[in-house]
Amino acid sequence: MRISEQAKQETRVRILEKAAELFIDKGFEDSTTRDIALAAGLAAGTMFNYFPSKETMAMTMVNEAFRQGMEDFQRRRTGEEDLTEELFLFIASGLRRLQPLRPFLGPVLERSLSPFPRKTVCQEGEAARAGHLDAVQEIIVRHGFTEAPDYVAMNMYWSLYLGILAYWTNDPSPNQEETRALIDYSLRFFVQVISGVWSDKGETHAG
Amino acid sequence: MQAEEGKTTESLQMEMLLDVLPKESATDPTGQRLAKLITRISNKRVPVSSFSRIWTLGSLNARVTAGYFAYWLRSRFSDADKKQRLKSEAHLAAALKLFGTMGYLRGAVMKIGQMLANLPEVVPEEFAEVLSALHFEAPPMHYAMVREVFLDEFGREPEEVFASFDRQAFAAASLGQVHRARLKSGEEVAVKIQYPGIARTIKADLRNLRLLLQPLCLTTDWQNTLDKLADIEQMLLMETDYEQEASFGKEARLLFTAADRVVVPQVFDDYCTKRVLTTEYLAGCHLDEYLAGNPTQEDRDHFTNLLTVGTFRIYYRLHWFLADPHPGNFIFMTDGRLGMIDFGCTRAMTDEEWLLICELERATLELDEARFNRATAKACLFDGPEEMEPERLEIVRRGVYWNMEPWLKDGRLFDFGDREFFMRGVDSLMEMTRKRYTRGSPLYLWSNRFVFGGRAICYRMKGRCEFRKIHQQESAWLRHEPVRS
Repeated sequence: MRISEQAKQETRVRILEKAAELFIDKGFEDSTTRDIALAAGLAAGTMFNYFPSKETMAMTMVNEAFRQGMEDFQRRRTGEEDLTEELFLFIASGLRRLQPLRPFLGPVLERSLSPFPRKTVCQEGEAARAGHLDAVQEIIVRHGFTEAPDYVAMNMYWSLYLGILAYWTNDPSPNQEETRALIDYSLRFFVQVISGVWSDKGETHAG
Repeated sequence: MQAEEGKTTESLQMEMLLDVLPKESATDPTGQRLAKLITRISNKRVPVSSFSRIWTLGSLNARVTAGYFAYWLRSRFSDADKKQRLKSEAHLAAALKLFGTMGYLRGAVMKIGQMLANLPEVVPEEFAEVLSALHFEAPPMHYAMVREVFLDEFGREPEEVFASFDRQAFAAASLGQVHRARLKSGEEVAVKIQYPGIARTIKADLRNLRLLLQPLCLTTDWQNTLDKLADIEQMLLMETDYEQEASFGKEARLLFTAADRVVVPQVFDDYCTKRVLTTEYLAGCHLDEYLAGNPTQEDRDHFTNLLTVGTFRIYYRLHWFLADPHPGNFIFMTDGRLGMIDFGCTRAMTDEEWLLICELERATLELDEARFNRATAKACLFDGPEEMEPERLEIVRRGVYWNMEPWLKDGRLFDFGDREFFMRGVDSLMEMTRKRYTRGSPLYLWSNRFVFGGRAICYRMKGRCEFRKIHQQESAWLRHEPVRS
């Protein structure tokens, strides 16, 4: 029996929905692919045709959230923002879409976005990283820089962003407001670096 | 002269420092330990421990200001011919660093600095300008940040919540900023928005401050200092709860009728949360702008009257101190009314505290010295006046008498613009501080700021009011139970 494209799509969505429910309920580590298949009403083998692992499932959700976040960001931009503000809007829009997944994201992001060399590279993680950095570069270039910042600066940015994500997944404050402050500080710091402007806030040794 | 040349710069600096530092007679009589602490700090880089440190004393303005504040503080402790020497930077740097470690607490320090700026005779004119520009600066929020706060608090963007909303803030608040907006029902409002996560910064910085002071802790009054710090922390944290502030504001508003010409702005509950406070916008200006318009004596007296009525009514009926009476909290309205805003820093007295204050007031008015001394001793947390050092008792009494002076003076009008009166108050406070006779219930931190802050404003206004008449009128409500609506 041939499965239509539409049916395949629906199955994909169902699998992800059930997976998300389970991840939130039992945590990422403790959910098994068997559980997910069962919940989605599929045989395990069938399910693997759609998603080779639960990591892939989780990162697909993450990428979907980031995609929606990007759309939100484009829609919300007014064009009047300065660089720091625009970057903030971008990151905040992404996190807001990521919010429903927060309860289980820690271990997922750790595996998929780890900056340390791994035996198997997570494709979806790579896609997320590349997509994010491309967007950031585009934003920066829009703000009057002659060229995109080099790999050192982008590396710094990515470290800051990973730090933000890590903090956010564990942030106990209401609405993760402390992460918001962290984003603010991190971005102001980053923008200072690439602007080459050190304000008098620099801590030079007196005398 | 020769002996001085022989000394190294460092030992000269130490000497100067030792000279001007307050001495703790019990454990650090020569001030050596404190001096060492400050020198140690000035020779090291202080690690960034809390978020707000990135704003390292905020702008250059703030750093310069803190430096001047430090200079001023020290100059109060030294005699005239050393002032010039004190201008040398070595100790300014040390003091800067010391204040720099305080992160948010510099907000409290800043508020003191601000208060000092409102005591124009106390600080040389050229510093007052700079100091008054200094208020605690929570980092400014760009509109994108404001939007995020709104999405969290209301689930909608600002432009969806209000009919119109200014993207640019029109005023800074100690923990955030204020935007103008218009409700869908048409009212003009002021929307105060708090910078995310600031409560944690407060806790972290006060903890740092306690640690910093630890080496000096082995004094009889250390527990008292700790209690005061705890009280300050409480108050600062209270300021982070805008719902609390809204509730204070609503209660205070009920006290005044249109005839009083004092107005506390209406709170719009539907647009208030813990982090966002929406109140009626009052059109008018603050003290500086008001004075720049060269108001007549009659006009100044009018506002002094209103200020006295406003603060007293709240004091007598609700038993509250408005613990932060700085010029930014009063609006001189175009229609001649006085607006009272910002109830973030309100200290409500317990019944016990209220009773003691009433006792003190009565003893003063009845010129009953023995009773007065007993009440004063109690306020300083002694069992009786005989337990106090005679000098301490004398100095504290002088301070309390100054507070009560407008009650005692004959005549219809009391002139708060009288320089001699004002300077006596300042000297008295400084003496208490210098001699370290500051032990007392933490309540007096706030009552001092209340009395001082209020009078400083009236001093700058050169205003007079019918003090006794107002007092009689407002204290007719004197009873042990505060009036609650």
